[in-house]
Amino acid sequence: MADLPLSDVRVLDFTWAWAGPFCTQTLAHLGAEVIRIESTLRPCVTRMLPPFADNQNGPNRAGYFNQYNQGKRSILLDLSKPEAVKLAFQLARHCDVVADNFAAGVMDKLGFSYEKLREIKPDIIQISMSGYGQYGPFKRYVGYGPPASALSGQFWLTGYPGGDPAEIGVSYPDPNAGVMGAYAIIAALLHRDLTGEGQFIDQSQWEAVLVHMAEGLLEWDVNHREPARKGNHDFYMAPHETYKSKGNDDQWVSIAVGTDDEWRALCKAIGQPALADDPKFKTQELRKKNEAELDPIITAWTRERDKWEAANMLQQAGVAAFPSMSNRDLAEDKHLMERGYLVQLEHPEVGRRMHAGVPWKMSGTPTEIRRAAPLRGADTDDVFKTLLGFSQQKIDELRKAEVII
Amino acid sequence: MSTTKDPRGLGVIRVVECGQGVSAAFGAKMIGDLGAEVIKVEPPDGDLMRRRGPFPNDKPDPEKSAIFAYLNANKRGVTADLANPEGRELLERLLEKADILIHNVPPYERARQGLDSAALCAKHPGLIVASISMFGDRGPRANWRGYELNASNAGGWAYLSPGASPYPELPPLKPFGSQCDFQGGAHAALTALAAMRVKLKTGRGQAIDVSEQEAIAAMLEMNFMHWTYAGRETSRLGSRALGPWFLADCQDGKIFVLAVEEHQWKSLVKLMGDPEWAKEEIFKDRMSRAQNMDALKALMSEWIAGFKVTDLYKAAQENRVPFAPVNTMRQMYENEHLKERKYFVTLDQPGLGKLTVPGAPSQYGKIKWALRRPAPRLGQHNEEVLCGEFGLPRDRLAKLKQSGAV
Repeated sequence: MADLPLSDVRVLDFTWAWAGPFCTQTLAHLGAEVIRIESTLRPCVTRMLPPFADNQNGPNRAGYFNQYNQGKRSILLDLSKPEAVKLAFQLARHCDVVADNFAAGVMDKLGFSYEKLREIKPDIIQISMSGYGQYGPFKRYVGYGPPASALSGQFWLTGYPGGDPAEIGVSYPDPNAGVMGAYAIIAALLHRDLTGEGQFIDQSQWEAVLVHMAEGLLEWDVNHREPARKGNHDFYMAPHETYKSKGNDDQWVSIAVGTDDEWRALCKAIGQPALADDPKFKTQELRKKNEAELDPIITAWTRERDKWEAANMLQQAGVAAFPSMSNRDLAEDKHLMERGYLVQLEHPEVGRRMHAGVPWKMSGTPTEIRRAAPLRGADTDDVFKTLLGFSQQKIDELRKAEVII
Repeated sequence: MSTTKDPRGLGVIRVVECGQGVSAAFGAKMIGDLGAEVIKVEPPDGDLMRRRGPFPNDKPDPEKSAIFAYLNANKRGVTADLANPEGRELLERLLEKADILIHNVPPYERARQGLDSAALCAKHPGLIVASISMFGDRGPRANWRGYELNASNAGGWAYLSPGASPYPELPPLKPFGSQCDFQGGAHAALTALAAMRVKLKTGRGQAIDVSEQEAIAAMLEMNFMHWTYAGRETSRLGSRALGPWFLADCQDGKIFVLAVEEHQWKSLVKLMGDPEWAKEEIFKDRMSRAQNMDALKALMSEWIAGFKVTDLYKAAQENRVPFAPVNTMRQMYENEHLKERKYFVTLDQPGLGKLTVPGAPSQYGKIKWALRRPAPRLGQHNEEVLCGEFGLPRDRLAKLKQSGAV
C-alpha cells in the first residue's frame, strides 16, 4: 500500500516558532499535506536565528527552520490585509485540520474561530496550542517553551545534588507540545473516521508537559514532600551516573545498573570481580546507600578510557552504558546512519544538509522525509491554483496588491 | 474511505500492553485514557514500577506505588510469564482480538518472549505491533542495553544540560524523571493510532519501531544544525545566545527571568523604573545582553529580590514579559489557573485512597478523556479476562498458576 496513514489529510498550518511546527512536521512525517502559512506580518522566528548555512544569514538558510519544517509546503501572505485572511479562510474549506500555536484568542481575532470554521467545514479539526490554554485566569499570559519548564517543576526538580534548580538545556516543552498535539490530532482524525464528527482541541503547553512530571507531583500528593534534586542519581538504582572519560576534553559516559546480574557484570568488566560481593555493595539497597563510595571506583576506571571504549566494554558484558553524545557525535553516528535516521535531501538554497529524520519506522506504510523544508512562499502559486482554481493572472493581481507576497 | 462508522469512537480499539516500566505503560495509557480497552500483561512478579515509589511513608508495597497507579489506570491486568511457552500461549490468545500491541521488551529479549515483530505480524495480519526500545529494532547497536539515564545521553539532550553551565567539572545533567521513556511511549501511541487509521481502511496491521534515542535527538532545538550547518559543536557550557535569560531569587522563591524580544526588554526596563544602567552600550541588544548576562543579572538582582514570586510574575506578564515562577510540586497543586481548568483529577486507587494526578494533556471538544477505572492489582483480571473472555478453562488457569506461567 503506497498510502501513508495521513495521506488523505490536509493541514492548514498557522503555527510558528517551535512547538507548532514540530507538531505539523510530525503529521507531515505520517503523510499529511501540510500547508504552512507564512506571514510577512510576523516572520517565523526560526527563519531568523542562527545557525545559518555556512554562517550566511537568510530566511531560507536557517537550520532551525529547515529542521522542523521538513516535508511541508509554504505559502506567503500578508495577514494584516483582510483579503489575505479571506484567502486563508477559503483554503480552510479544503483542509481537514487547522493548527496554530498563538496565544489564546489570536485565532478568533484573525477570524478563524472554531465556530466560523465549522460553518464552512462541519467536520473540521482545529487545534490551538498555546502556553496556558484557551481559558483560565492566566490565559492571556505569554508562554514560551523554557518558561513552561519553570512552570511545570522541571527546573525545580532538575539539578546537581545539593545544588540549585537548573535549566534543562533545551526548550523541551516545545517539542513535547508538538508530539502531544500531533497525538491529539491523530486521535481526532480517528474519531472523525469512526463517528463523522470534527472537534476543537485546546492544548496548554504547560499541561502537556505536566503529564510527564507525575513522579515528582505524586511525591507531594502522597507524602507532602518535595523530591530532592539528585543530579544523575536515581532513587533506587546505583551506580547511576555520567562519568568522566579519558583526557581533559568534555567527554563522558553514562552508566546505569538496575539488577544484581548487571552489577556482577560491571565488576567483572572493570577488572574488580571481588567488588561484586563486597558487603557494602552486594544488593541494590546497599549500593544506593553507599553510592558516594561507589562513584569514585567507577570514575577511576572510566578516566582511563575513551567514552566509546568504556561503553563498548560494558555493553559487551551486558551493562547499560552510553557516551554522552554531542551534536557532532550524533551527526557522525554510524548506528543512526545505518538506520536511515539522518537524512540529506536537496534544498534549493542550502543544498544537501544533514537533518534529524523520522524517529520511528513503520513496516506497512514506510514513513520518510519526502522533501526538504520549503523556501519561504515556494508553494504559494501552486496552492492557490490547485485548491482554489486561481488563474496566474489572478495570482499576479493579488501579488501586485501585496495580499500574496 | 471505507471505514465502518462506529458511535463508540475510540472505544472500539483494543490494546494489549506488555513489558515493564514507564514507556509502554504510558503509551497504552494515552490510548486507554481516550476510551480504548487496554489489557496489561505483567510478569508474575509484577511490573518494575510496582517496586518504585512514591509509596505512602516510603513503605514499598506492590499495590501502593503511586506512579504505577498513575501509569496504569484505565487498564485491566493479567499476569503471564512470557519466557514460559504456556505464558506465551496466553498472550497469543489476547492478541487474536487485539488491534494494537504496545511493548518495550528490548530487542535482545524478544525472541525468547514471543515478541519478534515480523513473526507476530505474519501470524496476526491485522495486528499493529508498536515496540519501543532505546536504540531501535535494527542497526549495529540495536541490542545494546539502556535505561533512562543512557537515553538522555544517547539522544544528545544531557550533553546540553544544564543550559549555560559554568561548571565544566560537573557531568552532563539528566533532566528530572523519565522524560525519554515518556517520549518513547508518546511516539508509540501516536504512530499506533496513525496505523489504526490504515487498519480501519485496509484491515492490515504493521510493525512500528520506536527508538527513544531518535525521538530525543529530534528535540535538540537548533543544536544538531549548529554542527551540520555551521560546523559548531555545542554543549551545556558557555553562555546564552539571547538575554536576559536566567533564574533569580525573589523574597520567597525563584523566578525565571526571560525577555528576549526587543519589545519585552523595553517593557521590562520600564517596569524596573527606567534605571540608568539599562542604557549602557553593553545591554544594547539581546545578543549583548546575553554576552553580559552576569553583569545584567547582578544589576537586576536587587530589584527582583524586592518582590514575591507571584507579584513579579504577574507584574511582568501584565506587561507581556514572559517571566515564570520556578514552581514547586505543591505550588502546582495549589495553582489557581490549573484549578480553574480542572487539570488535576482524582484517581481512587484501592490501597492508596484518593490520589490527585495530572489529567488530560489536551482538552478535546468531543473525545472523552477520563479515568474510568483504577490500576489493576497484580493479576486482578486473570479470571475475568482469560477465562471469561478468552475461553481459558478455569482448571487450566489453576494449573498455570501452579506452574508459574500466570
